[in-house]
Order: sequence, then C-alpha cells, then structure tokens
Amino acid sequence: MQALVNDVEIRGAFKKYGSNIILNGINLEVKQGELLTLLGPSGCGKTTTLNLIAGFLEVEQGEVLIKGKRVNDVPAYKRDLGMVFQTYSLFPHMTVYENLSFGLSIRKIAKEEKNRRIGQALELVRMTGLEGRYPRELSGGQRQRVAIARALVVQPKLLLLDEPLSNLDAKLRHELRAEIKRMQKEVGVTTIFVTHDQEEALSMSDRIVVMNQGQIEQIGTPTEIYANPQSEFVFNFIGKSNQLSGRIQTVSSHMITVVLEDGEQLFVDPDNIMGADKSCAAGDPIKLYIRPEKVTIDPGSSTEPYFNHHTARITQMNYFGSTWEIEVSLLGEFMHAIHPVIKPHWKIGSEVTLGWKPSDVMAALK
Amino acid sequence: MEAVRRNGSPEVNRSMEPHITSQKKYRRYNKYIPALLLLLPLLLLIIGFFIVPMLYILYLSFIQTDGLDTSNASYSLMNYTRFFTDSYYLSSLWLTIKISLYCVIVSLLLAYPVALTMSKCTPRVRGYIALLVASPLLISIVVRNFGWFLLLLPNGMIHRTIGSLGIDSSSLRLLFSETGVVIGLSNSFLPFMILAIATSLYNIDPSLEKASAILGASPLRSFFSITLPLSLPGVVSGSVLVFSLSMSSYVTPALMGGANVPVLPVVAYDQMINLMQWTYGSAMSYVLLGVTLFLVTVFTRSMERSRFKEVFR
Repeated sequence: MQALVNDVEIRGAFKKYGSNIILNGINLEVKQGELLTLLGPSGCGKTTTLNLIAGFLEVEQGEVLIKGKRVNDVPAYKRDLGMVFQTYSLFPHMTVYENLSFGLSIRKIAKEEKNRRIGQALELVRMTGLEGRYPRELSGGQRQRVAIARALVVQPKLLLLDEPLSNLDAKLRHELRAEIKRMQKEVGVTTIFVTHDQEEALSMSDRIVVMNQGQIEQIGTPTEIYANPQSEFVFNFIGKSNQLSGRIQTVSSHMITVVLEDGEQLFVDPDNIMGADKSCAAGDPIKLYIRPEKVTIDPGSSTEPYFNHHTARITQMNYFGSTWEIEVSLLGEFMHAIHPVIKPHWKIGSEVTLGWKPSDVMAALK
Repeated sequence: MEAVRRNGSPEVNRSMEPHITSQKKYRRYNKYIPALLLLLPLLLLIIGFFIVPMLYILYLSFIQTDGLDTSNASYSLMNYTRFFTDSYYLSSLWLTIKISLYCVIVSLLLAYPVALTMSKCTPRVRGYIALLVASPLLISIVVRNFGWFLLLLPNGMIHRTIGSLGIDSSSLRLLFSETGVVIGLSNSFLPFMILAIATSLYNIDPSLEKASAILGASPLRSFFSITLPLSLPGVVSGSVLVFSLSMSSYVTPALMGGANVPVLPVVAYDQMINLMQWTYGSAMSYVLLGVTLFLVTVFTRSMERSRFKEVFR
C-alpha cells in the first residue's frame, strides 16, 4: 500500500527577526488538490509561512517538505511553484504574452506547446485576445487575472496566493473570489491562500488555518471554524460576536447553568466549551459568546426545555437592506441581533426579550 | 434643439457680456504675476549672461574676418566649411566623441555594481553610501585632477608600483594620453552615473524579483531579464549626463592630456585665446554643441523606440 503523501508539510517551523518571534513552532499539512487558507491578523505569521514554502525565507528550526521532499536548502527558483502577489507583479516591460512565456522559456518548452499552453491559460482566466497588451494598459482586475495565468501556465507543484485580492475594489474582489475558486477546482492545483479577510477565507477555502501571534489557533473546514471555534481568538476573529460574563452555578453532564451579575440564569451546552480542557466546577468564572444571527428578539414560547431568555433595551437599529441589525444594552454590554424583518413595536428605547438556544452559546473558561 | 442651444450659448455670452470675459482673462493672468516676480532675478541673470553671449557667439561664427576686427566683416559659412574640410579638426571632433564614449562605458561598468548594492541596502546604509559617492563633488575638479596627475606621472606611484612587481611599465603611457583623460573624466563624473542608476533601481517593485524567481529564473537570469531592462531609464540618463559633460570638458583634457589629446574644447580654447580666432572658435563651439545634442537625441530616441520602449513611459 502506498502511503499518502501530503503536498506540503511544515514541521516545527520556528522563525524570528531579531528578538521578535514570528513563527513559534508551526506544524501544517496541506493535502493534494485542496485550497487551504492561512487566515489571521497582520503580523500573525501567515505571510512568513507562505514565504517559507515559496523559499524566500529560511526556517531557523524545523523543516519544510514539498511533495515529500525536504526543501529547506532549495532556493525559490528551483522549487517549481506558482505565486500571485498582492501588487500583481507583472513585468511592466513585457506584454501579456511575454509575461506568460517567461516561465515557459526557462523550462525550455517548445514554441508550439508554449503557445498552446498560453492560449489555454488565458482562456482559463478569460483574457483571450489581450496577449499583446502591456500591463499598463490593463485594469487592476485584468492584471491579477494575468498574474494568475502566469503562475498557472508553468503547471506548478503548488499555487501560492499572497493576498491577491486586497488591492481590488469590493465588486471585483467578489467576482475574482468566485473565479479563483472555479479555476482552482478546474486545474486541481494544490493552493495555499493567504488573507486577513475572514469572508474571503470562509467563502473560498476547503480548509482554513487560523493563525495568531506565530501560532496556529485552529485548523478546520469553514463551517467548523465558524460554528465550532476552539478558542476565544477564533470566535472573535471570525464573524461578529456578542459577549457576556458570568459564574457557573451548577454543572451536569448535559447542561451548565450560569448566573449573570443580575442574578438571571442562562444555560450552556457543556460540549460548547472552547479548547481541549472542558473541565469546570461550580463557582468558576465563565465567558459566553453568541453570534448575532443566533439571537432572537421576542422569541415567544419555545419547545426547547433549556431555552435562554433575557430582557434588554434597544439602543440602536441599523438597516442593511436585506437585514436589520438591532443593538441592545444588556448589563452594560452592547449586544447585537440580526433579523430579516422587524416588528412595529421595536423602537429605540423599548424593552424586548432576547432568546437563544443553549447549543448556540460558545463558552470560554478563565 | 438641445444641441443648437448648447452650441449657441458661448456665442451669446461673449457678445452680451464682453466685460466679464475680459475681466476673467485679466484675473487669469493676474495669478502668474507673483511667480514671474519670483523668477525674475534668475531669468535676468540667465538672459544677460548666458542667452545673449550664446547668441553673440552664434553671430560671430557666421562672420568672416581677420582676427578681432569686425568692422569690414562679411557673413558667410566659411568658418563651418573650414571645420568640416580640415581633417585635423574633424579628427579632433572624433577624438572628443571617442573619449566621451569611453568615459560612458567606464563609468557605467564601475557605477552599476555600486548602484545595485545601494538598492539592496536598508535606507540608512543607502544614505551613507550616497554621501560617500557624492563626497568627491565637494572637492574642486582641478584638485582631483591634480591628484591623478601626481599618481599617473611616469615616476609616480602607479608606475613605481607596477615596476616594483617586476613588470616593465615604460611603454605604458598613463599621463598625457587618452587613457589619462578617460581616467580623470570617468572619476569626475562617476557620482552622476551612480546616482542616476540607483534612482531607477529604487523604483523597481521588489516583488518583481520574487515573481521572476518563483517562475524559475536564477538570480543571474532575473538580473538580465528584469532588473537590467527596468533600470534602463537610469542608465540612459546617466550616460547622457556623462557623455555631455565629457564632450564639453576642458580642464581634465588640458591637464591630463595636454597637447597629445587635442579634444575639441581644448582646440576651441586655443583658437579663441591663443590665436585670437574668435569667429572660428565660435563656429567650433557650435559644432560641438550641435554634435553633442544630435548624438544625445539620437541615442535617447533609439532607446525609447527599442524593444524596451515600455520601460521609458
């Protein structure tokens, strides 16, 4: 039986600039054909990780493997990868055709095969007919399409995308997001995508690696990351969140009871405690996190036995076209609820009841 | 109907309210007055001490006379025909061009590595190197040339060093030769070349080099297909600068070349000051100016229309 080899493996990568630790022991495996996103705030080490794979940086400890081969000492130009940069990085003195043929000429591809591949790559990014243009004569979106074609035309082992959409305007960004996803699946190339935009990560990735301060916080599919975050950082970084703090009153195998400052009782599913250590006892402080779209205003009577209720006062109502965001004040904290429609008696200053299921609450122990 | 009214409206305005238009015009010129006043001192200086003398020399170059007496002068192209029919003067022109080209090549070869190093450094180190590069400009060109003069003398340090290695250097003529002039001029103009190239290297997006590497280009290939073509604007402007300065230089060829290297500026000086042939000297100056401008224009234009034309936009 043949052992399954990961396309990329990073083992215990450690990197620092001066006394600044950028990567603190990263372990990562990228499966064949998947689109893996490195997501995190700036300075979290995601770009450094990408540069390690590309070969622009060297690890101080640990190793990087591409297709099962250790590449620590292989320079970037011998790694046979494709990369797309934030600033497009097309060669300004070369036409679209020349930009695409650059990598092929280095690989000594025959003229006919070269032309065929360039035609194919341009077709893939929907840029056929613009071979003779110079980058200056293209729009931002077109430049990034050419950059993607240039990276793919050499049939690289991996495609690396370094925040390729962040220089484009919102509309183009949405368009190219879907395009990149389509092209990646069409070509089937293993892709590593770096971004700080959680929406991009959620909509495009097969798996997401959430990074923070040189460490990996969580690896999982977009739904796992969003619905089942394993740390407070991940919960707060991905999507919007509401926060409440309280103290544990009772613990049982199927339900935790929490008291808030005002004496109100809330119920939390014990499985929803984030992190590996889920042990807790009565009297422990606890933080509760709820997504705005899980909070219902005026929930009415629920069949759920442990349904949570709390009264609050509306402080602001924001209209977003398809939804309303309602801000309420609860124990001095602001909470947000997302509703598609509002009821006539919801006004700024009016008192309403909030409700949510115990399974929708994520909890963090201190 | 809409179009007619739109077309007609400026006409109507002009005829009905002429005073407003003229007032606007007056106001439009008004705003240039402070700028004009600020420029005036320099403008007068340039007109009085540069443009007028240049025009006077141009006028002189078309006069046919004996010596300084212009009372019974007649206009002709004699001075120019004399220049272009005498092989001595033509070879002097060719020598000037040749030496200037050598200077461009020598300073290019010496400057590019320095500029490349500067572009790879942190801004702090880059500042120090730039200061170091520009520091020779703080010393008078005569002093610098005299320094070279002493080094290149037949019993100077360089000859003695070569001799101490057991090599016979008596056939090597460093001073009073083209070599000496090229050494002196290249040294003087090197800072201009370095700074011109460095400036265009700074403007290259560093991610282009990464893009080139990830596509499989070795550092050497990246240099020749990306960095070098993109730095051509700096190479061209540096070359034009060094070439023009070399074409018109007088002090260095006079000191380091002497009578053995009769470049055109030296010959023209001779005509004007020693032989009192003002009109012929004037014509020579204009030939030098014309040839320099012509060559520089042809060079720049051909570079701008070359394969790398996109770089010059």
